[in-house]
Amino acid sequence: MSIIQQHTSASLSDAWRTINIDALDPDSSQNFDTTTLHPPLPEVNEADVRQLNAQVRQLLRGGDAEGALRGCLETPVYNGSEAAKEAHLQTVTEVLQSIKASDMSPMLERIHQSPGGSELLDVLIKYLYKGMAISAGASGAGRSGNRTPSTLTPQQTGFSQIGSRPGSTNESTGAAMSVILSWHEKVIDVAGLGSIGRCMTDWRKV
Amino acid sequence: MPGPEVHHLFHRPIADHSFSADRKILAVAKDSAVELYGKVGSAFKLKDELKGHDKTITGVDIAPNSGRIVTCSQDRNALVWEPSPTGYKPTLVLLRIARAATFVRWSPSETKFAVGSGDRVIAVCYFEEENDWWVSKHLKKPIRSTITTVSWHPNGVLLAAGSTDAHARVFSSFIKGVDARPDPSVWGERLPFNTVCGEFMNNSAGWVHSVAFSPSGDALAFAAHDSSITIVYPTAPEQPPRAVISINTQLLPFMSLIWSSESEIVAAGYDCEAFRFQGDASGWQLSGTLESKGRPGLGDDEREESALNMFKQMDLKGKAKDDTQLKTVHQNTISTVRAYESNGGNVTQFSTSGVDGRVVIWAL
Repeated sequence: MSIIQQHTSASLSDAWRTINIDALDPDSSQNFDTTTLHPPLPEVNEADVRQLNAQVRQLLRGGDAEGALRGCLETPVYNGSEAAKEAHLQTVTEVLQSIKASDMSPMLERIHQSPGGSELLDVLIKYLYKGMAISAGASGAGRSGNRTPSTLTPQQTGFSQIGSRPGSTNESTGAAMSVILSWHEKVIDVAGLGSIGRCMTDWRKV
Repeated sequence: MPGPEVHHLFHRPIADHSFSADRKILAVAKDSAVELYGKVGSAFKLKDELKGHDKTITGVDIAPNSGRIVTCSQDRNALVWEPSPTGYKPTLVLLRIARAATFVRWSPSETKFAVGSGDRVIAVCYFEEENDWWVSKHLKKPIRSTITTVSWHPNGVLLAAGSTDAHARVFSSFIKGVDARPDPSVWGERLPFNTVCGEFMNNSAGWVHSVAFSPSGDALAFAAHDSSITIVYPTAPEQPPRAVISINTQLLPFMSLIWSSESEIVAAGYDCEAFRFQGDASGWQLSGTLESKGRPGLGDDEREESALNMFKQMDLKGKAKDDTQLKTVHQNTISTVRAYESNGGNVTQFSTSGVDGRVVIWAL
């Protein structure tokens, strides 16, 4: 037998490169539930979120904006239904919108200095990005009717580049976005780029 | 305190670097070759090149006593380079892994080394006299993802490993006939091969980039991609640790860390500069950068600019200031931090290497 390798049409083509070998490996992450790597998180239901919302509103009415912000950041909804998560985002957004721009930085500074404060600001960053995704999605949908991201953006990143200019389509989403953006700037000033990195790496999603 | 000693070797990333015990030889991993630099005066000159791998080299380590060099590469192989009068002789080590090797370190006894890999295993390799051959044993369970880093306990049996499954783990790599039975420690008493002595993760669970045992071996620190470092103080086997301290920083993630003493850690990474952490089992904090700001030579921002020159720059480049240089010594991510000089168990000097092709020696 010749030692020269026999080429067949199968070995010459590149098709074998596209075989997903992870699917064939029983131990690979594809065949393994990666959520079992983390300790389970307590489930939060919608009723709890509503109750918290009421408490936070009461604090806001009482003029304790910092207490309200802390209150909603201490109980992020990591494990819950979409509706519960949405409702909590609503609560956070309400609190953020009710705080004056001049109060933001000193308040964030105080929260950051307090024990466990950097964790709270990480939660805030998560909600800011979730808020951006939602208002970007809302204004995008408002312009093009039904959104079909697959044709223009190969990967859905959560930030739709097209049609999401704040203020251009819808006054209210534009205003919401500008509140979120000014909070984002202030939080990064206090918590640093590290908090963006943590928001991206964290497996606990809001 | 003298300023850092900077050696700009080339314009390629340095995946890993290692100094020989006498600090006269510096080995750096550059693409698929290891370059050996010899100290000539105060500079390092290229002396030799170790070519044997055919893909990017990911780890290099010089054994301090024997002078043997071990390298590992994305080509899934590890080579042990034996020094001889005619140069270094490579020996292939069969790692039996199907994915890239990512990291390699000699054990303190120099009879073993551990190779981390993308195949969810750590290959612990030792020399078998009767077969005249390096063989490897796999630490497999419960690793779920790529091993990014390994670090040896001073006793040479315990091995810490960081992984992209966000866990830092402590294993026993005890090999009969190679290792002496270790003294009982906080990590465990009986330690057969692949005993898991500890498994830790932090709250946000980022990839672990670097792990290190404290000089005594009784504490473990790890740096993760969530810009944090976590220090674990175990109490006894099968018991929860007495303290797990996580420090979330405002900085970019750290790629590498070392303990300079029992109460001080040096970490560096994507911020291109090294930072100092200080503390003990009751708490740790970031105590600042090791970069001396406003160094002469690099920072020419203070120099008075003439109006003509300013407008000339604006016309040529659209801006008045040349901001293409970072204010740090390293001009890109630092990927490896290593102890360079120790005095009575405390590190007095350390070296860093990074993506910018520089190796820098710092005084603490």
